[in-house]
Amino acid sequence: MPVFQDSAALYNILGGFFDTRVRFTEEAHLIHQVGGPILFVFEEPAAQICWVPVESGREAPFELALDGQGPSPLLTFRQSGDTAHRFWHGGLDLQQALARQQVRAQGPLSRAMKLLPHLDAIYPLYADYLQAVGRGDLVLPAHGGGR
Amino acid sequence: MSQAASRSIQALVARDYGQPPTVEWVELEPPGAGEVRVRLQAAGVCHSDWHAVTGRLPMPMPMVLGHEGSGVVDAVGAGVRGVAPGDRVVVTWVPSCGACYWCLNGSSELCAEANRGAVDGTGADGRTPLSWRGAPLHRFSWAGTLAAEAVVPEAAVVRIGGDLPWREAALLGCAVQTGVGAALRSPIRAGDTVAVLGLGGVGLNVVQGARIAGAARIIGADPVAWKGELALQMGATDLVGSGQDPLSAVLDLTDGRGVDVAFEAVGSVALMAAAFNVARRGGTAVMVGVPDPTEELSVNAFAFPSQEKTLTGSWLGGSHPARDIPRLEALWRAGLLQLAPLLSHDYALADAPQALQDLLAGRVARAVVTFPDR
Repeated sequence: MPVFQDSAALYNILGGFFDTRVRFTEEAHLIHQVGGPILFVFEEPAAQICWVPVESGREAPFELALDGQGPSPLLTFRQSGDTAHRFWHGGLDLQQALARQQVRAQGPLSRAMKLLPHLDAIYPLYADYLQAVGRGDLVLPAHGGGR
Repeated sequence: MSQAASRSIQALVARDYGQPPTVEWVELEPPGAGEVRVRLQAAGVCHSDWHAVTGRLPMPMPMVLGHEGSGVVDAVGAGVRGVAPGDRVVVTWVPSCGACYWCLNGSSELCAEANRGAVDGTGADGRTPLSWRGAPLHRFSWAGTLAAEAVVPEAAVVRIGGDLPWREAALLGCAVQTGVGAALRSPIRAGDTVAVLGLGGVGLNVVQGARIAGAARIIGADPVAWKGELALQMGATDLVGSGQDPLSAVLDLTDGRGVDVAFEAVGSVALMAAAFNVARRGGTAVMVGVPDPTEELSVNAFAFPSQEKTLTGSWLGGSHPARDIPRLEALWRAGLLQLAPLLSHDYALADAPQALQDLLAGRVARAVVTFPDR
């Protein structure tokens, strides 16, 4: 059974996490170093969330575009909803996940790799967010991640 | 000793690609030089027979299906020295020539002459011993065991002991050599963790081959519940079943590390990629199942150098029948190789088309056609 039962659930939970938490972190500003939109394409359930960088002065350094409504992405990451759920827990080694085709990347991957070390500060926010929205049942136990 | 006259026998005939096989009366010539005639006692029905019907395995039509069996040598042609009338034998499907590059370099399962004969359907002398309605009739990879009798090269038969039952012996011709052989010739080391994706007749034998090779943990994956139960009997320690993604499930079972050796035993491109992906860094994925010749496999290229993974294949389990069938027989005699649990259903030759259908529907592990009147 997928963690996110349908697209609405994914948009609500993962999209909500990006919208209300990730966008307002210090690390979110690093999207400007990437230099373009980052599209997450999900399977099981099918969904798309794009991080679209915006000019300084707005409330957060990027906005979300859902369901294919965003601009052409610089980088695309394809994964299942379950894989994304595990990734944002910090339970997935991206290099391993790419090698195993759990995550498929298109575009200049090296630019996204700059963000990776900074995600360690964001991962704990996901479990906190799930608890805060009453979905503590989705919090995963610690996972080795094949490291 | 040879006999001059052709015989009319019944056989399961695939008339053309995509046509349902039917049981027909066909003509069988006596054994020529280097050939033996076997009166079949039991013959296994394999997915590969169906692959020949659909054209997934490129073989000539029309043909007599069947490529594993057991029976009694009935007559031998000139020059046959290894067997004699009355011998109990297993019939197998890669009669290696012993002289080509591959035979001389220890890979007789890849024998050039055996492969040629499988593809064009003729023997070393350019003929087939079978005919139907006045035209040449080919046989599945030199064998054609779904028939009352078969004329095959001497190298396609291996003598067996009197205590090995016919039905069990028939499975040594293909499924057991292929599955157990794939495991025994893989890099499995004692204590390893192994995954087997697909638990049909071959996959179940990979499971028991991994057990024999010393694997401590054997994860079997198949959506059909009863096949999983059978895999536990054969040596599997963990199961991945219906509704579970094999990659995620195997990674969960191995704390994200993956397995030392993974096997794909279906011929599904998606499962082949999954087998590669469940192998750990430095691990090996062995492709045993037979995909369609037109299909292509996509895996992450960076994984080869950065993960030191090995992707390899296995044909007939890398077996040399004359060497390996006696060894498998010894493992069975020692109680290490299980054959009876694989035999879920018996059929008369007249019901062989139904046996194929039951196999395709996942109702049987290995369907066996028997000849009880003998």
